[in-house]
Amino acid sequence: MKISCLQENLAKGLSTVGRAVATRSTLPVLSNILLATDKGQLKLSATNLEIGISCWVGAKIEEEGAVTVPARLLSDFVNQLPADRIDMALNARTKTLNLRCARYEANIKGIDAAEFPLIPTLGEDGQVSLGPESLREMIEQVTLAAATDESRPVLTGVLAKLEGDQLTLAASDGFRLSVRKAQLPQAVAQPQEVIIPARALQELGRVSAEESEAVQMVISTQRSQVFFHMTSVDLVSQLVEGAFPPYQRIIPASHATRTVLDTASFRDAIRLAFLFARDSANIVRVRVTPGEAGGNGHVTISATSAEMGDNVGEMDAQVEGTEVEIAFNARYLLDVLSVIKSAQVALETSTASSPGVIRPVGGSDFLHVIMPMHIAR
Amino acid sequence: MSRTILHLDLDAFFCAVEELRDPALRGKAFAVGGQPETRGVVASCSYAARRHGVRSAMPMSRALRLCPGLLVVRPRHGAYHEASQQVMERLHALTELVEQISIDEAFLDVTALPEPGEAIARRLQARIRAELELPCSLGVASNKLVAKIATDVGKASARGDGPPSAILVVPPGSEAAFLAPLPARALWGVGPSTAERLAALGIATIGDIAAAPEAELVRAFGKNGYALHRHAQGLDDSPIVTFHEAKSMSREVTYARDVSDERALRRTLDELADDVAQQLHAAGKGGLTVKLKLRWPDFTTLTRQESLPEPACDAAAIRAAAHRLFDKTWERGKAVRLIGVGVSGLMDPLHQLGLWDRDWQREGRILEAVRELQKRYGADVVRRGAPE
Repeated sequence: MKISCLQENLAKGLSTVGRAVATRSTLPVLSNILLATDKGQLKLSATNLEIGISCWVGAKIEEEGAVTVPARLLSDFVNQLPADRIDMALNARTKTLNLRCARYEANIKGIDAAEFPLIPTLGEDGQVSLGPESLREMIEQVTLAAATDESRPVLTGVLAKLEGDQLTLAASDGFRLSVRKAQLPQAVAQPQEVIIPARALQELGRVSAEESEAVQMVISTQRSQVFFHMTSVDLVSQLVEGAFPPYQRIIPASHATRTVLDTASFRDAIRLAFLFARDSANIVRVRVTPGEAGGNGHVTISATSAEMGDNVGEMDAQVEGTEVEIAFNARYLLDVLSVIKSAQVALETSTASSPGVIRPVGGSDFLHVIMPMHIAR
Repeated sequence: MSRTILHLDLDAFFCAVEELRDPALRGKAFAVGGQPETRGVVASCSYAARRHGVRSAMPMSRALRLCPGLLVVRPRHGAYHEASQQVMERLHALTELVEQISIDEAFLDVTALPEPGEAIARRLQARIRAELELPCSLGVASNKLVAKIATDVGKASARGDGPPSAILVVPPGSEAAFLAPLPARALWGVGPSTAERLAALGIATIGDIAAAPEAELVRAFGKNGYALHRHAQGLDDSPIVTFHEAKSMSREVTYARDVSDERALRRTLDELADDVAQQLHAAGKGGLTVKLKLRWPDFTTLTRQESLPEPACDAAAIRAAAHRLFDKTWERGKAVRLIGVGVSGLMDPLHQLGLWDRDWQREGRILEAVRELQKRYGADVVRRGAPE
């Protein structure tokens, strides 16, 4: 293999695939990145066997070939090289990659490309097109609710449901639930329901950050995999096995109080209260008071730390319904208020021990359910 | 305006209550406390016993060596509590500004009353003596610090065989002069180690502390140095606190014999955790921090603590944390003299409810049923079992 490419292109490609590199694997080749010539380009691949990412980088190819080299060393080295042309040549016998750039030269010992697991490629059947911007927003709004601990593996995933011309993503860690819907440009032939690891979707959001073309998605239930194809990046992920808990049942069908608040002010008030709540199990109390004779009501947000002190914030709100006081984990409120783009949000509540629902005002494609904190008896 | 603060201390309180029950004890050397063979300590001792050197908090075995004929009286806490309430009721009849600091001690702020402090003290002492047959001593001063020390000084200078029934008044303006000749140990916040460090600086009396440059005290004792300097001059503006919110709750036991059996120790941990959980429940609180205390036979005492993700009030969570701390602290086979479990960071026991998980409701119903049983048939009727 003998190729040359620009330092900045290679550095960017390495950072795109870098997050899929296995960090603690017993298989040494999984800590490596595969470099291979492919259809006149340099293909970079990394996988931890759950997620695989491939990325194509423009390069001048003099001689075809492939090798894997340690990801960490290669990325760190390339990142620190000057913005210049890099010439790479593989010694096929010793599996050593020679790199030259400006007045630097390095030899990096690799592992045979044949030992690298085959990253499956995209099939053509059942492709679903997704607008990149709305996809990124969906990912952001939904993955925050997924569980980070592995005690219930299905909850570390995001339920993806394709039906008619609609895609629904849902995730829950057992305490909160995010559900986001989006219109598909074309209806799907068969309804499908799979669980995609939240981490894979977060990576997809990251690697598609500059994508302007539609992202193609293909689900292979036989292989239990999902593929995403972009202009110069492919991402494949294993699906999570198991049944997602029935989430529709826990979305409250009614509410006693609907409170419309300015999103940014609500977020700021929670952020201030969080300073006091973080030492006291993140507890913030939200008290909603309806206005008199149809006038505006108000909302009081308070937090108390037994050791540090307390804080109260007050804001105006349009309140429909009865007075309510409810306690939430401030972290959960902050998470969801940070991914809502609309100027106003509605908080729907019933009692201090029943779930609260947050929806953007002026859109029906997103909802978030949070269980309150309540006296445990 | 200068305040008038009274400090009241019941003289040898437990003994005085015992003498009411059994007048034959009057004038005899006796002590209320635990039996010497079970490592009991002296909770209170009569003035006759004090003349032999017996003091509160002393191991009963030592008290008996000092005073061979000492009568040991088993404590009756219910009776002391009742008598204490009777006293406190009479204090509250005088003013709302009463701060009870222990079963037999209280501060009163009588600034707003028309009579001078000394007259109020005399009347109070006479009333408690006449109606309850209990002796007490009082200190009168312009703040809590000096009033309390006045009581102590008054008691120490009393003559005669009976209870001191002292009243000592420190007029406003003379606080510093009153404190100056007293040993540094008499001041609030000066324990044995502080006294030792003060002595190393050539400081023996409270007057020495007052005369020392503040900067030097701050250098030696950090921010406590400021308080020391102020207190030594008789300055204290702390108010009468009529309501104390608990900051922690704990339970501990000293074994009659040192215990090194793991199962026995863990069983005690469970019982202590359950007791603390019941205390929390009674107060309607949960705790964010669980603390374990272990004392080895050589009196080395270790405390370890763990923070919980949310305030716990259920026995299971407190037990689990106590056992985790025990695992980290105890070495197999090591003998334990005292073991204790406590919680702090008290707050409303809010718990993150789960979207699907309904177990908390079930657990709540079980706890409710257990409490109902305990209320009817006593605390020991049912306890959480240990999986064997």
